[in-house]
Amino acid sequence: MQKFKIKKYIDNSNVSRFRFWIQLLSFFLFVYGGYFFIEIGSRLPIFSCPYVEGSPGGCYLIGVQHELHSTWSTIFSPRGISILKSLGIFLIFFIFLNKAWCGFVCPLGTLQDWITRLRKALGFSFVRYDEMSFKRLKSIKYILLFLLILIPLAIKNSFFGLPLLPEGMHTPFCQICPARIILPLFTGDTSQIFVDFTDPATIIMSSLGLMVAAIFLVGSFVKKRFFCFFCPMSALQYFFSKIGILRLVKDGDKCTRCGNCSRVCDIGITEIADDVLSKNIVKDDCMMCFKCVEACPEEGALKVKVVNFDIFSATEEGFFKRYGETDDPEHLEKHGLLNSNKKKDD
Amino acid sequence: MIKATDIDRYNRLKKTSTIHYNMEVNQVLSEIIDDFPDKLAGMEYFYNKFRPLEEGKSLYPKDKKLIASMCIHVPIEIIHALDATAVRICSGAYSADAAGSDFLPAKICPMVKSTLGSIYLDMLPGNANPDLVINPTTCDQKKKIGEMEDEIGKEFYVLEVPPSKDSEEARQYWHRSVKKMVKKLEKVTGNRLTRRKLKNSIKMVSMAQAEFRRFMRLRKNAPVIYGKDALLITNAYFFDDIYNWTKNLTILNDELEERIKQEVNVVGTRAPRILLTGSPSIFPNMRTPILVEKLGGIVVYEEFCSSSRMLSDTVAVDEWFLYDMVPAVADRYLKPSTCPNFTPNDDRIRKILLAMKDYKVDGVVYQTFTGCQLYDMESRKIGQELEKAGYPVLNVELDYNPKDSGQLTTRLEAFMESIKDNKRKR
Repeated sequence: MQKFKIKKYIDNSNVSRFRFWIQLLSFFLFVYGGYFFIEIGSRLPIFSCPYVEGSPGGCYLIGVQHELHSTWSTIFSPRGISILKSLGIFLIFFIFLNKAWCGFVCPLGTLQDWITRLRKALGFSFVRYDEMSFKRLKSIKYILLFLLILIPLAIKNSFFGLPLLPEGMHTPFCQICPARIILPLFTGDTSQIFVDFTDPATIIMSSLGLMVAAIFLVGSFVKKRFFCFFCPMSALQYFFSKIGILRLVKDGDKCTRCGNCSRVCDIGITEIADDVLSKNIVKDDCMMCFKCVEACPEEGALKVKVVNFDIFSATEEGFFKRYGETDDPEHLEKHGLLNSNKKKDD
Repeated sequence: MIKATDIDRYNRLKKTSTIHYNMEVNQVLSEIIDDFPDKLAGMEYFYNKFRPLEEGKSLYPKDKKLIASMCIHVPIEIIHALDATAVRICSGAYSADAAGSDFLPAKICPMVKSTLGSIYLDMLPGNANPDLVINPTTCDQKKKIGEMEDEIGKEFYVLEVPPSKDSEEARQYWHRSVKKMVKKLEKVTGNRLTRRKLKNSIKMVSMAQAEFRRFMRLRKNAPVIYGKDALLITNAYFFDDIYNWTKNLTILNDELEERIKQEVNVVGTRAPRILLTGSPSIFPNMRTPILVEKLGGIVVYEEFCSSSRMLSDTVAVDEWFLYDMVPAVADRYLKPSTCPNFTPNDDRIRKILLAMKDYKVDGVVYQTFTGCQLYDMESRKIGQELEKAGYPVLNVELDYNPKDSGQLTTRLEAFMESIKDNKRKR
């Protein structure tokens, strides 16, 4: 009975509010944690950017780019085992939270949510991609992932007899990543805002980086989670999403396809509503923020599970608690609820 | 408007039809109330909602504009947010059928005839006199009525509903269509849609939905309420004040909860549990549910646009500003709708199959009004799917004329008996 009560309490809770605080904490941890001698490791599945002075760890993407910045002979020598080892470490971190790393922990994701809050406070409408653009643009993250693997290799190895790429293109994604430029600003470090005139390659890459950072700021103001849609980390995570311990599952039989879930989705994933056959409903763009579960009024249609144990389910009661209640006196008065503490379920 | 020479005829028709209407209403009410022994105290409020009003009296606040809708696809949250009264005027009255027939070909659905007749003769629920009739382009027969607005003497507004609901194009089209309706309603009511008003209106409907869903939850197990009563409750939602409706449904739900605790049922637990679907039962056309229940069955779920389809689906708004609230409201009327006017309409099959399990249904009675092609056409596929899942289905075709109940009774009786037999064998 006690267990049942706790479950009900969680199902009725506002996960988004909980997420807000977790995000705030994680943001401080991953931007300032280093100042408190916290050390988490350098193979994290989030943009814990080592360019930030206070960063307590490193993003796996920077690691993988460094590791692949080697000749084939090195990669296939015993030293190459370290590449697998760091992938393993990445996976160990990853499987615990699955893509919820993006929704709950990633500082760059959090920053975008804060920019969204700013937009809301100013009362501006958001923008959504139409279906066609969505489908077309979603492949960008895979292309970026492919390039960030290919370019380091192509600096050290020649492909099909082509000339080597310039050294200035090392860690190519970091050079264009908005986290490198924007996150250090939170520690008062503006040193990343510069164009590197070392050679033509660095000029191009660093200018590109500044452009992307500017696009990031504008984009995330008009579009919720603008950058996540293009994030190669998200693409990489998706390849392993099936082995994640944290899961988002759907019972299609219970779904009315009302679309509540997809319309509150920050990314705008439509399959969450329209797909009634898949059980595992984590899509490549999903960041497991669980807003969809909050917005689902159908008992048990969407569930968050740890392995096979339900931790948060869509319920009628929870839905109406989150979306149906209001404290506007005008409304309460008409309902005869003003100045009365009577709640029917208590 | 009506020609001078016709005024006399019109007045006569109106007079006789009104007398017939009152008789019809009183007779159906007495059947619903008096022919069944077990009465819930909480039902009294809803029964009274249907008693005919004296001429000249109106159920609605006089200082507000009255907007009538001919279908569930009209977003009533928006009407209420503009300080107008929303009334759904789909009619189930046989007494208005004849007047409507004058305008229409013979093979037209009686609901459309009756609705047209009741608008023409001013025989709308609660003596409504709408300032505007919103006519969504759902089924063909209904949408063409709007073209007769000059003859009928009421202003119609065509609300464009897409013929399909799955595609993004349909959704965009519908969003625009709803935004256009907002403009029109702002003009008619003279009020502007504000953030606070719409938010409160969404919450008002949401509380009604929460209460309705609680009501449906209470019906899942023990047979504590008749389907004919459940249908009256949802029919009252067509024209009742939503705050009052919700309050009274809360009282009834509390009573039902009490009954469940004390194990007081309206029928024996072995009574065949029936799901009704198809063309909607709208008061006073309550023949099918009344017959089912007089024959010892109990209707536990109604998949009708006069019932669950109208009240189950919710609005989820991400950002409580007009730019998100209006599309959110619009979405609730499109995406989860199981109206057969949309194609494909697999959601309806899935919804019925889920209800079969959730409500422990023994059999389905599929009702089609003569001339209602959409429901008629869907009956085949739904029948096949249900039979595949092992449920018996009875297709019945009827119109509003109460005199031809003989055959319906015989068929329902046989259906009930076979279900009872099966239940006994199990």
